[in-house]
Amino acid sequence: MHKLNNVAVTMVAAVVLGLGACLGACLAGSQSARAQDAPQGDAANGKRIFLKEACFTCHGRVGQGGAYNGPAPILAHTALPFDAFKGQVRNPINDMPAYSSAVLSDKDIADIYVFVHGLPGPSSPKNFPILNN
Amino acid sequence: MPKRRQEADSSRRNFLKGAGLVGAAAAVAPPVAAGAMPAAPLSKAKAALPGPRQIAAETMPPASDPVNQTSSGGDYMVDVIKTLDIEYMAINCASSYRGLHEAVVNHGGNTKPEIITCVHEDIAVHISQGYAKMEGKPIAMACHGVVGLQHATMAMYNAWCDRVPVIVFGGNIMEADKRAPGAEWLHAGVDIGQLVREFTKWDDQPASLQHFGESMVRAYKIATTPPMGPVFLALDGELQENPIRDRGSLRIPKYEPVIPPVGDSAAIVEAAKMLVAAKNPLIVCDRVARTPAGMKNLVEFAEALQCPVIDNYGRMNFPSRHPLNQSFRRALIGQADVILAIEMNDLWGTLTHFRDRIDRTSHPATKPGAKIITLGMRDLYLKSNYQDFGRWQDVDLDIAGDGEASLPELTEAVRRLTDPAQKAAFDERGKKLATAHQAMVERSKVDATIGWDASPITTARMCAEVYNQIKDEDWSVVGTAIRLSWMHRLWDIKKPYQWNGGSGGAGVGYNLPASIGAALANKKHGRFTVAFGGDGDFMFNPGALWTAAHHEIPILYIVHNNRAYHQEYMYLTAMAARHGRGVDRMDIGTTLKDPNIDYATVARGMGAHGEGPITDPNDLAPALKRAIAVVKAGGPAVIDVVTDPR
Repeated sequence: MHKLNNVAVTMVAAVVLGLGACLGACLAGSQSARAQDAPQGDAANGKRIFLKEACFTCHGRVGQGGAYNGPAPILAHTALPFDAFKGQVRNPINDMPAYSSAVLSDKDIADIYVFVHGLPGPSSPKNFPILNN
Repeated sequence: MPKRRQEADSSRRNFLKGAGLVGAAAAVAPPVAAGAMPAAPLSKAKAALPGPRQIAAETMPPASDPVNQTSSGGDYMVDVIKTLDIEYMAINCASSYRGLHEAVVNHGGNTKPEIITCVHEDIAVHISQGYAKMEGKPIAMACHGVVGLQHATMAMYNAWCDRVPVIVFGGNIMEADKRAPGAEWLHAGVDIGQLVREFTKWDDQPASLQHFGESMVRAYKIATTPPMGPVFLALDGELQENPIRDRGSLRIPKYEPVIPPVGDSAAIVEAAKMLVAAKNPLIVCDRVARTPAGMKNLVEFAEALQCPVIDNYGRMNFPSRHPLNQSFRRALIGQADVILAIEMNDLWGTLTHFRDRIDRTSHPATKPGAKIITLGMRDLYLKSNYQDFGRWQDVDLDIAGDGEASLPELTEAVRRLTDPAQKAAFDERGKKLATAHQAMVERSKVDATIGWDASPITTARMCAEVYNQIKDEDWSVVGTAIRLSWMHRLWDIKKPYQWNGGSGGAGVGYNLPASIGAALANKKHGRFTVAFGGDGDFMFNPGALWTAAHHEIPILYIVHNNRAYHQEYMYLTAMAARHGRGVDRMDIGTTLKDPNIDYATVARGMGAHGEGPITDPNDLAPALKRAIAVVKAGGPAVIDVVTDPR
């Protein structure tokens, strides 16, 4: 039986902030850079693929991020340029599975990108009183 | 199961049985099967003429065959157990320890230990594990020595990996001529302890009552001496059940706990010098706190250095909102010039980047030249088969000593060696760390807002809603699901009993029963126990809820229901992606759907309160209020929350 539920592993993986921030820093571009290379895509198809092809299993159905062996960064309203996003899908750093063209076409990736970029990003916690306990 | 005789069989009785059989054989003509050995001539098949013993047996009054006794070995065993202040004995009842069981109930009055009835041995051990971590002392567990122990093994392995004292009794019948036909043979072994020897600290099979007394006290002492761990005693049925022949000759050994060793003084000073001189020291820890003093000692030490702490959360080591808590800033590992690792479970894994790719590679997370100091007891007792010790880590100073006990001396050495200029630098470092900590907290709150109203419910929303309802209680959170860390990111966890670590061995099925064990310990202190657990984990041992209901153990249990063995789901997806094949069927064998399991109904079937399945996050607060009322009235309550995976 190899199911990870010990706290050390749980919490090590929970360092989403530390390594996730590193990943973001490596890949993130400015909003203007993103706007220049943003592809035309079908968000509805992107959502379908995002949920069908298991992207959600690590990154969450609303792109809130999560964890696999390590952190799975937040994708909601991503600021990643498309090329960086696609590069991560095709040849990822860390333990993210690589999705070849046999599994995801370039168009699929573009559709996913448009979908996740359109997801609502974070809000101010001030609007959520129970987060300020 | 037939009851064995209390006294040694007399040859007369055996003789009578034999004669009876001979007579019966003589009266019934045996069938002759094809190929069977030919029957002897009839004249030679007659029973032998009665001899003097048979004649005596048929003409004399029967020899002593007592049916009552006024004492039993089990009574003495209970007397010994009572001196060790063992509060409970979690059991799944079994005839091979019926002598002890009866003695606990009648001779011992079912108090210290009190029987905790469990429907599976795995539950009983995990309850013991959860209890021991919360209360700081072990309880006992009892099972059949063969089939029951086979059920108990995974939980014992968890306790071993988690360095938790659990005292396991397994019934056995050592003397072959005393075993009844059938199950007693199936449930007996020459060396039943061998099954668990690779993941227990010590085991024995006492051959006399005095032997039991000494082994019981020794087992307790070994189990509770750091590095702690489970122990096993095989209890002979005859020893438990038969009368005590000479009560006056039996004594109960005196138990005196071992004082955990403090690290070598010179080594402590050397470590203090390295840490005081460091520009970027770092503390990493896992299972430091074994008593309430542990957290206090670590806080004082970290504050003396104004040193960041990265906690792997094996125990309640460090407050979640302490400014020096940098547990979610692992990048600090790569910046540190001196790292002190205290009671670490997997030091190499913590200080290394490992890549789970086709070619598995790794490289240090530490910067070149970083000095590593270790302090702890874990490596003083290892075994060879199971590889829970992890990969070898090079270190620069390795101090054998109990972390909690050694910290005050280390703190004092740091204070003594720190000059005013260094003190000022420490304070400046502390301010920067406090700022970073606060930024980390704020970042967590911001991240938690994503998908706030989504269904399935985000795990951040789930944890925030639960905290909002319990924050004013004297709460204790004692369980989490895989990768679920929002409590440590969002909650103010600061008391020694507000966290107690995880399974240890990553064996699934721990979370529900171990949380109930912790709740059992919390009950007498009036604490409000809450735990999260995955749906996959829940289904290994749902019967644990019946134990909670039966013994009125109050606990609020939140099922983080992502309808999958989700970690496995992700692993399988990674395999399919690696092979360039479809990843859209990786739910096969990894998910728990079609039909969905109704955990609230399962809970109600066990006698607990059940809420759910809850899919709308706005339904969480009312459900929590209803469940909390049940828990505060003394019972268990389960809320099934349909969540996003992570």
